[in-house]
Amino acid sequence: MNGGPLSRLLRRVRGVRSRDDERFLLLHLPASLTLLLVILAMLGVFIAYSIPVISREGFHVFTDTTWRAVEGDPQAEWYGLLPAIYGSVYTSLIAVLIAAPLSVSLAVALEELTPRRLRGSLSLLTDLMAATPTIIYGLWGLAFLAPHMYPILSWLSSHASWIPLFSKHPSSGYTIATAGVLLAVMSTPFAAAVIREAYSMIPLSIREAAYSLGATRLEVIRILLGMVKPSIVAGLALAFARAVGETVAVSLVIGNSMTITPSVTDSGVTVSSLIASQFGNAGFYHYMTSALFAGGLVIFAIGLAVNVAAVWYMKKWEEKVMGVAP
Amino acid sequence: MTGYALEVRDLRVTLSGKRILDGVSFRCPEATVTAVMGPSGTGKSTMLRAINRLLDLNPEAIVEGDILIHGRSVWEMEPYEVRRRATMVFQDPNPFPHMSIYDNVAVGPRLHGLARSKRELDEIVRWALERAMLWDEVKDRLGDPPSKLSGGQRQRLSLARALAVKPEILLLDEPTANVDPVNAVKIEEAIRSLVREEGITVVFVTHMPSQAVRVSDYLVFLYDGHVVEQGPSREVALNPSNPLTEKFFRGEL
Repeated sequence: MNGGPLSRLLRRVRGVRSRDDERFLLLHLPASLTLLLVILAMLGVFIAYSIPVISREGFHVFTDTTWRAVEGDPQAEWYGLLPAIYGSVYTSLIAVLIAAPLSVSLAVALEELTPRRLRGSLSLLTDLMAATPTIIYGLWGLAFLAPHMYPILSWLSSHASWIPLFSKHPSSGYTIATAGVLLAVMSTPFAAAVIREAYSMIPLSIREAAYSLGATRLEVIRILLGMVKPSIVAGLALAFARAVGETVAVSLVIGNSMTITPSVTDSGVTVSSLIASQFGNAGFYHYMTSALFAGGLVIFAIGLAVNVAAVWYMKKWEEKVMGVAP
Repeated sequence: MTGYALEVRDLRVTLSGKRILDGVSFRCPEATVTAVMGPSGTGKSTMLRAINRLLDLNPEAIVEGDILIHGRSVWEMEPYEVRRRATMVFQDPNPFPHMSIYDNVAVGPRLHGLARSKRELDEIVRWALERAMLWDEVKDRLGDPPSKLSGGQRQRLSLARALAVKPEILLLDEPTANVDPVNAVKIEEAIRSLVREEGITVVFVTHMPSQAVRVSDYLVFLYDGHVVEQGPSREVALNPSNPLTEKFFRGEL
């Protein structure tokens, strides 16, 4: 291999100096390239499948609110994804807003307040919560959460209907609020794990410094939480990504109606739950499959945007704290 | 009042079943520097952490004996009160990395409500930074993170942070061990003037005999959990009565 054209090519890669480096590169490059190619191929498929609906409706498929499926008459079909996009973002935001205090408290409770003997079993429990298949949450939401949310939501809508959040009287427990709460419960263990990991890495010396200023335990916790802010953001971004992507569990509790409403006591729909509930019969229509793939593209984009935003925030923070010039 | 800022009486500390301090007693008159010296591993740092009740945080630690701050037992006070009255500076510079230089110093006064206005807080921050001999170097960049400071500057920032809560006693755990000589001199100077001009009482832990003699009024020589010798610094340095002390001064321990 030495001196051959392949070797010469490989050695142009930065850091490749020896035969061992070349072998390492040859071994690992295909694997990592494969992954990249799979992702690109997925994106390609989604774009290709979205083309029919986009070429017919143009950008309206993302901004329109009408969802009209007509069998045997493609010209009458019309698909607007906006209610689903709105529902995805809305339920995920609710989930993150609830998960934020929950996951921070859970992380702190496990690290600071749990006696050492219990810590192991309790953290095992939260790991188990994270590992539980989402359909289990979905069934729980369907059978327990939704019926129990109903009286609370109707009380709110009859006593606080002047708040737009509760303006609609719920007809059942299958609402945006229920989906948001369920998503919060599902994503809290993930966010908490990320936050807890960072919190436990805080050096003892920093902790001692805070205590030796005469801070009480809660004040110390507050100071230390400031130190793990980037991890809180990362954990919540993860929670958001999980919430946006969740499919079956949401479709079981959200009520599946194509509406745009500020009222969390109303039913709604998300892109993922729309795909889950409609894909089975999408084949009967001319454009619906394409519209659902276009929805998938939107989920892609939202996930990407949230991740980019989180990474950007962490970079900014690092620049600020580490003093690296931007 | 006993006239002593700090009295340690028969202090015994056990960590994870191992006896670290075995009956340590000494007294620090107000506005003096007491150097606690001794070889590594003789329990000097543990002793400081017992004084301000940081050891309370360690479930493996058992502390017996009495510690009086201006005549009042630390066991009669809340731990956070003890720690505010006797703040500590550690061996490694440990400013809070996510806070600006200003906020690092301001965090203590804010916790204890020492300033009623932004101006008062500014004044405390300035006073503490001046006292730590850091003000001139950072006054134009108080918003910078501590990571932009050198190691020695960070240690002086840690000192300023400890001073800003207006402690009566300053506990220093080898504060110059990881700092370059120029900064070490600055820290020693800062300590001397704090004692002289602000009346703060200092317990200065060090393993370097020369530094102990240089900075202190009184010396306590700790060896293997016991006080082997103590007294006014000059006396102990010139006429050590215990052979162990003599060996330590000769650098043989």
